[in-house]
Amino acid sequence: MPFCKTSEFLVFTVVSLCLSANVDSEIVKVSDEEDTSRQRRGLSPALSAEQPVFMPAGDSLLSHSLFAAFPEDLEISESCRNLSRAFHDRYLAYVDCLVPSARPVKVCLNCFEGYARLSEIYTNISNDQVGPDNCRDSLLRSDRLMLIYLLYGNLQSIWKNSACEQCVIPDLQILKNDTLYFMNELNQSLSCFEKYKQVGCEARLVEGNHSDLCVTCKSQYESLNVLYGRMEKNHSLCIDIEDAMNVTRRLWSTNFHCIAAREGMIPVIAVSCFMLFLPIIFYLSSYLHSEQKKLKLIHPNRAKSNNSLMHIQDKFS
Amino acid sequence: MANITKKVSWSSRADDSNATGEGTPLLNGFEQLGYPRQQSGESISQVGRVNTVDMDEEITSDEDSLRGQPKEITHNEKLLSLKYESLDYDNSENQLFLEEERRMSYMGFRCLEISRWVVCGLIGFLTGLIACFIDILVEQLAGLKYRAVKENIVKCTAEGSLSISLILWAVLNSSFVMVGAIIVAFFEPIAGGSGIPQIKCYLNGVKIPRVVRLKTLMVKVAGVICSVAGGLAVGKEGPMIHSGAVVAAGVSQGRSTSLKRDFKIFEYFRRDTEKRDFVSAGAAAGVSAAFGAPVGGVLFSLEEAASYWNQMLTWRIFFASMISTFTLNLFLSVYHNNPGEMSNPGLINFGSFDSKSLEYKLYEIPLFIGMGAIGGLLGALFNTLNYWLTIFRIRYIHRPCLQVMEAMLVAAVTATVSFIMIYFSNDCQPLGPDQAEDYPLQLFCADGEYNSMATTFFNTPERSVRSLFHNPPGSYNPLTLGMFTLTYFFLACWTYGLAVSAGVFIPSLLIGAAWGRLIGILLPSISSSSSIWADPGKYALIGAAAQLGGIVRMTLSLTVIMIEATGNVTYGLPIMLVLMTAKIVGDYFEEGLYDIHIKLQSVPFVHSEAPATSHWLTAREVMSSPVTSFNRIEKVGTIVDLLSNTSTNHNGFPVVVNNAAGDEPAKLCGLILRSQLIVLLKHKVFVELARSKLTWRKLQLKDFRDAYPRFPPIQSIHVSQDERECMMDLTEFMNPTPYTVPQETSLPRVYKLFRALGLRHLVVVDDSNRVVGLVTRKDLARYHLGKHGLEELQLAQT
Repeated sequence: MPFCKTSEFLVFTVVSLCLSANVDSEIVKVSDEEDTSRQRRGLSPALSAEQPVFMPAGDSLLSHSLFAAFPEDLEISESCRNLSRAFHDRYLAYVDCLVPSARPVKVCLNCFEGYARLSEIYTNISNDQVGPDNCRDSLLRSDRLMLIYLLYGNLQSIWKNSACEQCVIPDLQILKNDTLYFMNELNQSLSCFEKYKQVGCEARLVEGNHSDLCVTCKSQYESLNVLYGRMEKNHSLCIDIEDAMNVTRRLWSTNFHCIAAREGMIPVIAVSCFMLFLPIIFYLSSYLHSEQKKLKLIHPNRAKSNNSLMHIQDKFS
Repeated sequence: MANITKKVSWSSRADDSNATGEGTPLLNGFEQLGYPRQQSGESISQVGRVNTVDMDEEITSDEDSLRGQPKEITHNEKLLSLKYESLDYDNSENQLFLEEERRMSYMGFRCLEISRWVVCGLIGFLTGLIACFIDILVEQLAGLKYRAVKENIVKCTAEGSLSISLILWAVLNSSFVMVGAIIVAFFEPIAGGSGIPQIKCYLNGVKIPRVVRLKTLMVKVAGVICSVAGGLAVGKEGPMIHSGAVVAAGVSQGRSTSLKRDFKIFEYFRRDTEKRDFVSAGAAAGVSAAFGAPVGGVLFSLEEAASYWNQMLTWRIFFASMISTFTLNLFLSVYHNNPGEMSNPGLINFGSFDSKSLEYKLYEIPLFIGMGAIGGLLGALFNTLNYWLTIFRIRYIHRPCLQVMEAMLVAAVTATVSFIMIYFSNDCQPLGPDQAEDYPLQLFCADGEYNSMATTFFNTPERSVRSLFHNPPGSYNPLTLGMFTLTYFFLACWTYGLAVSAGVFIPSLLIGAAWGRLIGILLPSISSSSSIWADPGKYALIGAAAQLGGIVRMTLSLTVIMIEATGNVTYGLPIMLVLMTAKIVGDYFEEGLYDIHIKLQSVPFVHSEAPATSHWLTAREVMSSPVTSFNRIEKVGTIVDLLSNTSTNHNGFPVVVNNAAGDEPAKLCGLILRSQLIVLLKHKVFVELARSKLTWRKLQLKDFRDAYPRFPPIQSIHVSQDERECMMDLTEFMNPTPYTVPQETSLPRVYKLFRALGLRHLVVVDDSNRVVGLVTRKDLARYHLGKHGLEELQLAQT
C-alpha cells in the first residue's frame, strides 16, 4: 500500500493509516452497496435504502417485493421499528461525517459526537432484552447475517483503530484539553509556515535549513514536536493528531528542506580512517616483532615392527 | 603406555627407515616429498607442512643429534597436544568397587536413581537462572550504551560534530570489550570463544584442563555480557552451552573444589563416568535455555556425544532441558512484568511467524536448496578465513596483553564500520508500529523517518535478526542489505577466535538473514509476476538457517533448534533440506568451524568412525610400545620413580605377574591408573605397614572419590627413604579385567571399541596374554584422512 509507505512517524501511525484507508474503502463499499441495492430494489428488500433497514411487512407490500408479507405476529414490534429507524438515521449521519473527514484525517475531531449518538442507540437496542420478542433478539440476532450488528461492528472498529478515545473524554463527549492545546500549537506552526512560504522556492532549496522559514519557525515547530512526544508518552494520541503531525513533519522536512545537513563529514572520515588503520598497524607490528611460539615435538614410542611395515608396503606396492 | 625408548632401538629404527625409505612406495598412495622417515610412523610429512619454519628436511642424516635437541616447530593444525588427557569413562571394577556394590542395599540404588533426577533438575534450574541473568544484564548494559550514544548522536547531528559520537561509540565499545578480554586473557583463557568446541571435546572423552571449573563459569558469564554489550559481532548462545556444562559438572559433584566446600552429597557421582553424563545434560540445558529449544538441546547432546547413550540418560537430559526452559521463562516473565506468562521462547527470541507469511509452495523448494548451497559456500569461505586468522593468532598473538589489545581494536573497528555504514546510508524508512525499533536513529532522514541501516547495526545482534525476520516488506532496500551482509560477514569472521567469550550462532544467523532477505526482495523484480513471492522474512529465515548450517555444520540438532526457536513445524522440511545442502556443499571445501578449532587446539578427538582407508593398519602399528608396567606386588620406590619421571607422563599402567623366565613381557593381570597409585601412595598403603599396624583402616572407594577430580601431583607426595623399600600390593585396587585386543586387530575395530565403550587404555596382548603394547586416545586420533590419503599427526608439547 503506497500510501502507507510514504506516511510517517511513530508507532501506530502506519497501522492506523492503513486501517483508516481500509475504513475509507469500507465506507465506500457500504455506500456502493446501498447504491446497487437501490438499483436492484425489490430483489433484496432488506437492504433497500429508501426504507428503514428492516422493513415491516406493510411497507414491503407497496414496493415491488418478491416476498409476501409475513403474518403480523412474526414481524418486529413497533418500538423496535422505531429503534431501527433511529439507528438508520444516526448511522447515516455518522458515515456522512466520516467520509469527508478521511483526508486529511479528521475522523475523531469532527465526528466524535456522531459516534456517541450512534453507540447510544445501539446500546439501547442491545439492552432491550426483556420478554420473548425483544428488540435485541429480533433486530440483532434473528438471522445469519446479523446486519445491524455487522454494520455497527464496522464503525466500532474504525473508532477503535483511529484511537479516538485518546482525544475525546468518552462520557462527556468533549475533546480533551491536550487535544485542543495541540491543535492550537499546530495552527501556530502552520500559520508561521504560511507566513514565510512566500519566499521563492529556489532560494529555499539552496539554503536548506538556513532559510527564513527554517530559522523563524524552528522554535514553534520544535515545541510542537516536544508536545507531540509528551502526548505520545502519556497515550493521548489519536489518528487525527498523528496524521496532522505527519503532514507537518513532511512539510518541514520534504517541502521546506529543514533537515540537518551532512556537516562535519571530514572529521568523521578522518577519525574512521584512523580507526581502520589501527588494526593494520597492530597486526603488522605483532607479525614483525612478536616471536613465534615454538612447540617441542615429542617422539612417541612405537613397536619395532619393521617386518610389519615391509608387510604393509608389500600390500600396497 | 610406553616407556622411553632406548637409544639403541631408536637409531636402529631410523636406520631401517633409511634403508627402506628412499624410492619405496609410501603408505596408501602417499606422495613422497624427500622425507624418508615417513614410514617409521612418528612424523609423516604432508604437503601442508611446507610452511613450518623449523622443518629440517635433512633430519635423517644425523639421528642422534636430533634426539639431543627436541625438534621445534611452529603451531599448525596437524598436531596432537600432550596436555590433553582422556576421561575414565570405563568403570574400574576392582575389589573395592565390588565390595561397595555388595554393601549397597536395594534402597540405596533407588536413592541413587532419584538423586540423578534431582541433579538434572538442579542443572536445568541453575542453567536457566544463568541464562536469565545474562539476558537481563546484556539488555540493561546494551540499553545504557545505545541510549547514551543515541542521545549524543541526536545532539551532534544538529551541531554537525558527529565525529564525537563516533569516538564515543568506539570508546564505549572498547571499554566493555576490554573488561571482557582482560578477564578471559589473564584469568581463564579456556573461557574464550563459544565453548562449544571445548564441550564437544569433553563429551567426546577428552579432559580439557580447567574447562568445567567454577572460575571458568564466572569468567564466561562476565565475559559474554561484556562482549555482547560491547557491540561485537557475537552472540550469547554458545557460551550458554558451556555455562550449562560447567553448572552440571559442579552441581553433580555436590561440592566445589575451588571454594573448598563439600556438601557431602552426591558423593557417588564423583567419577568421570557420572560426571560426563551430567555434563551432557548440562550442555542440553544450555542449548534449551539459549534457543528455547528443549528437544533441540537433547538432540545437540545426542549429536555431539552420540557414542555412549542410553534411554534413561536421554530421558533425564530431556528433563534437565525442560526445567531449564521453564526456569528461564518463569524468571523472564517476572522481569517483563507479566509473571506466569510461560510462552517466552528462550534467550533468542526469533518471534513467531504468522501462518500467512509462512506458506511455501512446491516451486520454492529448489530455490531453498539453492540458498542452502549459497550458505554452504559462504560458510566454507567464512571457515577458511577464520582458519588462517586463527593460525596467525596462535603463532603471533599469544601474549595476553596483545590479545586484549586485539579485542579492543576489533570492538573499535566494529563501531567505526557500523557508524560509517549508518552515516553514509541514504535509506530512510518511516517508523511503523510493528517494527519495534529500540533505538531508531534519525540522523539525516526526514522527521518521522529513521535510518534503515541503523536497525541492523545500531542494535544488539539478536534484535537485528528479529527485525530482519519480521519487519514488513519494504523496510530495507537491497543496497542496505547487501552492504550490511558484506561488512558483517567480515566483522563476524574477524571476531570469532578473539580472546573474549562469545558465540558464533547469532552472527551467522544475522549474515544469513540479511542475504536471505536480500534474495527475498530481489526475487519479485526478477520474475514477471510479483505476487507469487511472499514475505521476504521467510527467505530471511531460510538464509539464516543456510548460513548457520554452512558455518557450524550441525544437522539434526540445528534443524530442530530452528524449528523450535521459530515455533513452527511447517518449515521443517525446507530447513532440513537447506541444512543438508549447506553441509554437503560446505564439507566439500572446508570443515565445520568447531572442528577447525578443535583441530587447531591439537585435541586428540576420536571421530565417530575410523578413517576410511585404515583397515590395513593393525593394533601392532598403532600401539605404543614397550609398555611401562608394574608387578602385582611392586616396590614403592619403583612406582614413585616412574610416576615422577616427567618424560613418561603416563596415566595407565598394566599390572603383570612375572613368570619364571623374567626376560619376556609378563602376563597381564590388570590395569591401574596413575590417580589410583597416587591415592595409594598418599595413604601409604604398603604391605609392611599393614602388617605392623593393628588398627589398619582399609582403604575404601570413598578415599578415591574424595581426591577426585584434582589428584595431587606426585611431587607433593612425600615418601621417605625407608618407605621406598616397602612393597605395595596392587591386587585390590587394579582393574582386574581391562579390555585387551590381539596384535592383529585392525584399526577400525580398535577405534570402535574406544568410541563405543569410552575407553582410555586398551592393552594389546599376544597369544599368551603377555603385554606387548598399549593403545590410547592419542595413538588413534593421530590418523586422519587428508587430501593425500591417510595422514598422521605429530605429538607436541603445547
